[in-house]
Amino acid sequence: MLASRRSFLSGLAAAGSFAIASPAVLGQGKPRVVVIGGGAGGATAAKYVARDSNGAVAVTLVEENEAYQTCFHSNLFIGGFKSYDEISHRYDALAKNHGVTLARARATRIDRDRKEVVLSTGDRLPYDRLVVSPGIDLKYDSVPGWSKEAEEAMPHGWKPGRQTQLVRQKLDAVQNGGTLVMIAPPNPYRCPPGPYERVSMFAHALKASGRGDCKIFVLDPKESFSKQGVFQEGWEKHYGSMIEWLGPKVHDGIKSVDPKTNTVVTGFETYKDCAFVNVIPAQMAGEIARAAGLAPAGGYCTIDPATMKSVADPNIFVLGDACIAGDMPKSAFAANSQAKVAAMVIRGELTNARTFPARYINTCWSLIETDDTVKVGGRYEARDGKIAATETFVSQPRESAELRKENQAENIGWYAAITADMFG
Amino acid sequence: MPLAGAVQLAMLGLMLASAPARAEGDRALGEYLSSECTSCHQSSGRQVGGIPAITGHPAEQFVALMNAYRQRQRDNKVMQAVAARLSGEEIAALAAYYASLKPGARSDQPAAHAER
Repeated sequence: MLASRRSFLSGLAAAGSFAIASPAVLGQGKPRVVVIGGGAGGATAAKYVARDSNGAVAVTLVEENEAYQTCFHSNLFIGGFKSYDEISHRYDALAKNHGVTLARARATRIDRDRKEVVLSTGDRLPYDRLVVSPGIDLKYDSVPGWSKEAEEAMPHGWKPGRQTQLVRQKLDAVQNGGTLVMIAPPNPYRCPPGPYERVSMFAHALKASGRGDCKIFVLDPKESFSKQGVFQEGWEKHYGSMIEWLGPKVHDGIKSVDPKTNTVVTGFETYKDCAFVNVIPAQMAGEIARAAGLAPAGGYCTIDPATMKSVADPNIFVLGDACIAGDMPKSAFAANSQAKVAAMVIRGELTNARTFPARYINTCWSLIETDDTVKVGGRYEARDGKIAATETFVSQPRESAELRKENQAENIGWYAAITADMFG
Repeated sequence: MPLAGAVQLAMLGLMLASAPARAEGDRALGEYLSSECTSCHQSSGRQVGGIPAITGHPAEQFVALMNAYRQRQRDNKVMQAVAARLSGEEIAALAAYYASLKPGARSDQPAAHAER
C-alpha cells in the first residue's frame, strides 16, 4: 500500500510539472478532475480533459485493471474473427502522451460532501469535478436459479475479460448436435444488438467447424429487439434453422435455470442437458454510482442532457452505460461521444475554455456472417429534457452484399479509430 | 498567469493556428465538432478498414463532400445522419479545422486552443 501511495504521489508530481499556468479558478491552485472507470466513457473523458487543457487540469483515472478488454468486438473474438490480443488495450499512452495520472486501484466510495473518491488502497483523491463511468452491474437475481456462483457454469460474457474467454471456451466445447440456449436481457441493457450478434457468431463458429447440426434457442423477455428484421433475415439466409428466437408470448417466461444440470425451464418447455447456456441478466448502473445516490430511482443515473452532469450533484458527470441517455443506446460509441461533451463542459467550468452546444452521435455495427454486417445509429441533441435523436438510420432487409461488406469495412475502421481515440 | 492573460494567449494561438486555413471557418468550433468525427476517422490520419482519413483534406473539397451527404447525393447512412443537421457555418468550421491538420502529423496532441 505504501508503494502504491508513493507511486500515486510521484504520478501527481509528474503531472504537475507540465503545468505552465495555474488558473486559480477555484482559489486552490490547479483544478483536479478524477475519473472513475477506464472504459469508453472514462478513458475518453480523462484523455480529452488532460489533452485539451494541456496540463492546466490535473486528471487522475481510477482503474484497477492494467489492461482493458473491449466488450465491443468481443463477439468477433467469440466468433473467431479477432484474437484476444486484438481486443486488449493498455492505458500507458494516456499517462505518457497526455499526462493523465493512472491510479491502479478500485474506487470503493464517493464522498460527495468532502468531494473525495476513496480507493481500495485507502487513498483519498480530492476532486473539483468527478466523472463516474463505471459501466454496468448485473442483477444476479433476475433469472431464477442463476447467481454469482453460477456465472462459471452459465457465463454471461457481458463484462469484458475472463467472462468473454469463458463464453468462447464453452462454445468451443460444444459437440455437433448440441443444444445452446441464450437467455437475452430485458431493456435497458448494455449493447442492444449485442445478444443477437453473439448468437450469429455462435452459429458462424459452429457451422464453420462442422457442427452445423447444433440448435441455438434465444429466449427473450422482450417482444422485439434491435435490428430484428435484418438479423432474422440473415440468420435464415446463412444458418437455415440453426437459430430460433422465441419471444415472451412463445416461451411464456423463464421459470428457472439449473447450472448443475444445464437445464432451462420456461412456461412451455424444458431444455435439458444443454451443451451451453448463456445467461445475460438484467442490468443496472455500477455499484459505486448507485451507492453515491446518483441513481435515485434505483437502476441507472439521471443526467442533464446538455452537460452529462448528474442531476443529483453538479460536480459529478455520469457517462456511458450507467446513465439514462434518452434516445441514445448503451454503447461504447455513445459513451465515447458523451465523454467529449462532458470534457468540454468540465474545461469550460475549470479553465474558462470555450464551450459549444452538446452534440452526440452513435452507430452500432453488427456482424451476422462473414462480410454481412448491419448497422443502426443516430445523431442526438439535448431537447425536451432528454438526449433526443435528431436523425436515425437502420439497415434494411434485402440490401446488396456489396453494401453489407462495406459496412463491415466501416466496422473494422471504427474499432481502430475509437480505441485510438480512447487510449492513444 | 492571470486567467484573462491565459485566455488572451489562447485566443492569439487560435488566430495564428487558423490563419493558414479558411478565414470564414471557425476553427475552434470545427475542432469541437470534430470530436464527433474522431470516433471513426482517426485524428492521426491513419486509415484502417473502410473509413477514409480526413486530416489535411482541402477545405473546399471537404465542404463539397459534406454538402453531398447532407443533400443525400452521396450514399452512406452514417454520413448522411452526421451531415443532415450541420449548418453551412458548421461545415465550414469543420473544413477549416481538418484542412489545418497535416495528414499524418497529428498524433492526438494537445488541441491548438488548449489552455496554455
